[in-house]
Amino acid sequence: MSDSASGSVDKSVQVKLVLLGEAAVGKSSVVLRFVSNEFQANKEPTIGAAFLTQKCRLEDRVLRYEIWDTAGQERFHSLAPMYYRNAQAAVVVYDITKATSLEKAKSWVKELQRQANPNIVIALAGNKLDLVQPSALSTGAASSSESEDEADDATATPGETPGSSGEPESLRQVPREEAQAYATEAGLLFFETSAKTGEGIVDIFTEIAKKIPIEHILAATRGTARPGAAGSRADGARQEGGVNLEENAAKSKDACNC
Amino acid sequence: MSTISTALRNFKEPTKEQLTQIFFSLPSVGSLDGTEKTLDQHVEKMDINAVLSFGVQGVEDSYAGKLHIIAPYLAFTSLDKKSVRFTIPLSTIRRVERLNARAGIYALSLSTWHGMKIIVQLTSLRPTADQFCALLRDALKIELQRGQMKLVKGFVKTCYSEALVSETSTVADNEREDGSLISEEKENAAPRESTYHGGLGLRFKFPGDPKKLREASKIKLWATYLRAHGRNLTLLRYPQCTRLVQVGLPNRLRGEMWETLSGSMYLRFSNPGFYEDLLKKNEGRTSTSTEDIEKDLHRSLPEYAGYQSEEGISALRRVLQAYSFKNPELGYCQAMNILAAAILIYMSEEQAFWLLEVLCDRLLPGYYAPSMHGTLLDQRVFESLVQRCLPIIHDHFQVVDVQLSVASLPWFLSLFVYQQYANDICISDSRLLLLHGTQGVIPSRTRSVCSSIIYEPSPSFHSWPAILKINGEKLLQIQDDGGFLNLMRDYFASLGDSAHPNSTDPRARAITRFQELLLVSFREFSVITDDMILSERRRFRSEIINSIESFSKRSAIRNLKTLGRFTKEQAGLIYDALYMAMCILPPPGPVNPPPTLLTPHDGTEEKPETRIELSTFQYFLSEIATWARNEKIVMNGFQQRIDREIAEHEFIDRLFFFWDTSCRGALSFQDLVSGLDGVMFNDLMENIEWFFNLHDKNKDGFLTKDEVLTLSESFLFIFRYEVGDAYLGAVSRFMTNAFEYGDALLPTAEDADPNSERAHDGQGPEPTSPHFIESNQPYLNLATFRMVVLADEVLESFFETDLSGSFRLEPVPDAELPVSPSGLLGDLWSTIATDSNKKMFNMFTDEIGKTIGKHQVINRPSIGRYTKLEEPKARESLLTPSMRKSSSKASLTGSSTAASTATLAPSSSSTLTVDTKGQPAKDLPQLPSSESLSPMVQAVNARLMERTPFAIDDAKDDEDESDDEIDANDNDDRVMDEVDAFLEAHDSGLTDADKEVANDLLHAEPLK
Ligand SMILES: Nc1nc2c(ncn2[C@@H]2O[C@H](COP(=O)(O)OP(=O)(O)OP(=O)(O)O)[C@@H](O)[C@H]2O)c(=O)[nH]1
Ligand SMILES: [Mg+2]
Repeated sequence: MSDSASGSVDKSVQVKLVLLGEAAVGKSSVVLRFVSNEFQANKEPTIGAAFLTQKCRLEDRVLRYEIWDTAGQERFHSLAPMYYRNAQAAVVVYDITKATSLEKAKSWVKELQRQANPNIVIALAGNKLDLVQPSALSTGAASSSESEDEADDATATPGETPGSSGEPESLRQVPREEAQAYATEAGLLFFETSAKTGEGIVDIFTEIAKKIPIEHILAATRGTARPGAAGSRADGARQEGGVNLEENAAKSKDACNC
Repeated sequence: MSTISTALRNFKEPTKEQLTQIFFSLPSVGSLDGTEKTLDQHVEKMDINAVLSFGVQGVEDSYAGKLHIIAPYLAFTSLDKKSVRFTIPLSTIRRVERLNARAGIYALSLSTWHGMKIIVQLTSLRPTADQFCALLRDALKIELQRGQMKLVKGFVKTCYSEALVSETSTVADNEREDGSLISEEKENAAPRESTYHGGLGLRFKFPGDPKKLREASKIKLWATYLRAHGRNLTLLRYPQCTRLVQVGLPNRLRGEMWETLSGSMYLRFSNPGFYEDLLKKNEGRTSTSTEDIEKDLHRSLPEYAGYQSEEGISALRRVLQAYSFKNPELGYCQAMNILAAAILIYMSEEQAFWLLEVLCDRLLPGYYAPSMHGTLLDQRVFESLVQRCLPIIHDHFQVVDVQLSVASLPWFLSLFVYQQYANDICISDSRLLLLHGTQGVIPSRTRSVCSSIIYEPSPSFHSWPAILKINGEKLLQIQDDGGFLNLMRDYFASLGDSAHPNSTDPRARAITRFQELLLVSFREFSVITDDMILSERRRFRSEIINSIESFSKRSAIRNLKTLGRFTKEQAGLIYDALYMAMCILPPPGPVNPPPTLLTPHDGTEEKPETRIELSTFQYFLSEIATWARNEKIVMNGFQQRIDREIAEHEFIDRLFFFWDTSCRGALSFQDLVSGLDGVMFNDLMENIEWFFNLHDKNKDGFLTKDEVLTLSESFLFIFRYEVGDAYLGAVSRFMTNAFEYGDALLPTAEDADPNSERAHDGQGPEPTSPHFIESNQPYLNLATFRMVVLADEVLESFFETDLSGSFRLEPVPDAELPVSPSGLLGDLWSTIATDSNKKMFNMFTDEIGKTIGKHQVINRPSIGRYTKLEEPKARESLLTPSMRKSSSKASLTGSSTAASTATLAPSSSSTLTVDTKGQPAKDLPQLPSSESLSPMVQAVNARLMERTPFAIDDAKDDEDESDDEIDANDNDDRVMDEVDAFLEAHDSGLTDADKEVANDLLHAEPLK
């Protein structure tokens, strides 16, 4: 929203990115962390989908991510094609403390590879890394309490009750190696992340930015009426380098946490 | 893994009667499985023209309308269907009197339990009025007998309105300004007995600033109205009621008014204790729904204090779980948590449960269903309404390729409660737009919060067009989905702002954007009527269903773990056959998850998956395998047709269990695909092995003697309609050879394997003798079986190509063969439309055909390799001498009689049952026991005799049964009639003379 007024439109490359994954794995939290560097303990589930934007600078190139955060519950599945159509990138999120969520992630990957844009860049993100890190234990007592509360209430939910011991690795249900192997085999970018601590979040979007065939997007959209695509003056060579969150991240805050 | 649902196919448009019930917010017939059904069988219904006058003169005008008895309710609506209405349980009526009025006038005075008088003048003809009164009397009597009358007093005590009207001061001394209870000070004192239901707000405060909400004055206004016009069960809705709802509801009353206006109160009233029982009955039960609910409990209005405490969370859990137990098919859908959380602030659990029921089932039909078809359908309807009402915006969106639903869908789903934009919802009835101009802020939320608007049939149909219209100019600048969403978000965030900030008129400046929205919804979009929405829904339903079905087909195919050697298209054909079978023989309801004990707790439990049972499988297979259906070609001189039925045979059951690799007694789509993959691509040797394995029950690599017999029967079943003797001969030879080789290879005591030796030792006598064959003794191995099969040319060709070829994925052509239009009855035929007609026509022509001797029935062969009758060989030569010996009973004359009946009941002769279990063969060591053999051989003989020599071409039929639903798209443009009708004065529909009569009635004395 603020971008359209800022006049930077013609410098940035618009990238449509979609987040997919089982309910409550932390998709919205990942986006919230990326877009406004925040974490909310109890985020309302996404109904249908939410839309957010965030700019990234990759050397001299500015990428403007248009992020579609989708709802995770199975029955919203049929709405997903509406959101991943024309997407150039996808982040498929699972929860490393819940084995089934990786299965769901795999089926999303399969669907994307068959149904979505053929050049789509897919990243696999195993979220909630903080829950299995010993370092999180000391701080985690207070800050991760919300997820433990949840689990405590959820006595009826199988597989969610964490051991009362302080052994955090016991919460892990998806070994890193297993997911990494799958990602390699399926040709995905792979990260373990924590929306809570922020670990690994920016990396997802940086790596995606590097891998995205920007020239393709430019070529495809050049000359169309779409803002953000028309008449990019940036030169052709794609450059390696870090992505800096735009300064106006704070400005877009109000745009994201709603 | 996927679930396949045929529920959408079975949708039925509501009948007129059902629409009336819906209009009066009455519980739908049989909505509670079984509990009330018996009464509904003979629900008395009648309506009559009437004029309603209020018991106290001058308070309200009189209105003409229709009075309905829909036992056990009495309902009234004014002619315009919106000004005045009520729905009152008969049990609240304590007295009915015929009034002594002017001649020719028939009037009744009805008194409710709290003494309110309603006067209705029945304006229909006298006999109709008499009949109506008689019906009313009977219905009241029944209510009295059912003891309903006694329940009323207890029930109304649970309603806040009763407390409100009896209180002298408008705000009780233990209430805060916002209506919540003050209890902290007297923590130890016994809590004041409040019998009325209320929500979490009583304890955790109601959202919003009570001053701004003007709670005190609202309470006063409402108390006055409810005192005079009835309340809860007996509320009469006059225009004043609608206006008051627009002013807003006091926090304490809100929950109850939602209940009353939505009709969920009738459900609570007629099902006392249901909620508690439901929870008790299902205690500890878990399901996918309960798991999903757990995930979201802490994610529902988390800012509200009530949901930061265990009290609120567990109330929310119970309500959502109870709903999912009540309606397992729908279960739980995200968005319901937010809805339930919002209403629980204002309502007790029981109230919220019933309101949720009404919301999910009636107000938002199909919105939360697993396919979300209701949501998708209403999005489509919404788009079409925008196209109609706001063509410029619609066209612009088309040009820039923006989908309206990306923004509107979340709000349709959550009734505006979503994402903090709203904290205040209100359920309305169909015609009234009920809304609150109230602004509130959920504590700790910094955003302004608007109220939401609920209409029926769907709450969002008026407000969304209004939102688009208000933002029209900006919308035309939008270039993509993102821009659209941003604009909408900004708009929602600014709803609390002034709509005309630059106006010089302070009053105009005071109008918020929210109020502006309400105004525009009212003024300009009340043209969108229920009927319009219903007819639009009808228009798009099949389109939506088709797209949902093709989506679920695609994802079912994608979700297959393996396609085997099938292409996606072929898998699609398998899916189609499965789907068709499920439509006709639906599998049992949603499979309840296995008991918790069996659910692995390591997080690897399975997602629910659609599985079919044997009967559905039989239908499925009959669509695919030629021998799994009986096809009779009937010719009667006028027409030639194929009567098709599902074959039943042990062989098919065997296949079912053979494919059920996970031993669940039911097959999934994947099982079917893998199963078919295991046979359709086989070569000769693989097919022989497949067939062998199919009959090798314990999978030890050997067939027992019994299994050899069963296998022979399977042959006979598959070949049952083949022309000529070739197959029967082959089966007969097969049996002979199989038994010969089998016996020859029987282990003697010396080389028998130790296991069987021990078994024999136990029984003792003559271990060397091969006579004693236990029924489970290995008898024939694959190599021998293969040898026996390959020795026979006919069987070899069967396994080489015919077996695999008998599975055909392409849909079976329709069973009708075209009739030449020039035929005698051709014209008649072409006018036949329905299935039952066809059946009658078929029977009719059959009869004629029989009389004129042209009726002929032929069973279509499954393999059809030999279409010409081969010269019958000498029948004796088919049987070995020993077999002939034991089959002497099967005389030729005997079997020829069988032949004459065989065409009538073909399947009866093909289901052979052989009972050999535990009957060791004694006198015929080289053959199975005579008891078991003789029926078999008899049958073979009989079959040889019954062959109807006839050659049939594969009759194909391309007649397309296009009985597609005729689009009942009667686009009655009532749009203009209803323009702004709401804001118009409420016309009572009465002339002055009528009014005078009505006024007279107010003073009339009861008839003695
Ligand atoms: N400990 C921890 N909790 C997290 C993390 N990310 C998310 N959560 C919590 O997990 C829950 C779900 O997070 P959401 O971001 O709403 O999940 P989602 O995938 O968007 O869920 P849906 O919208 O329902 O599909 C919330 O309670 C979060 O606080 C994380 O990295 N660490
Ligand atoms: Mg989310």
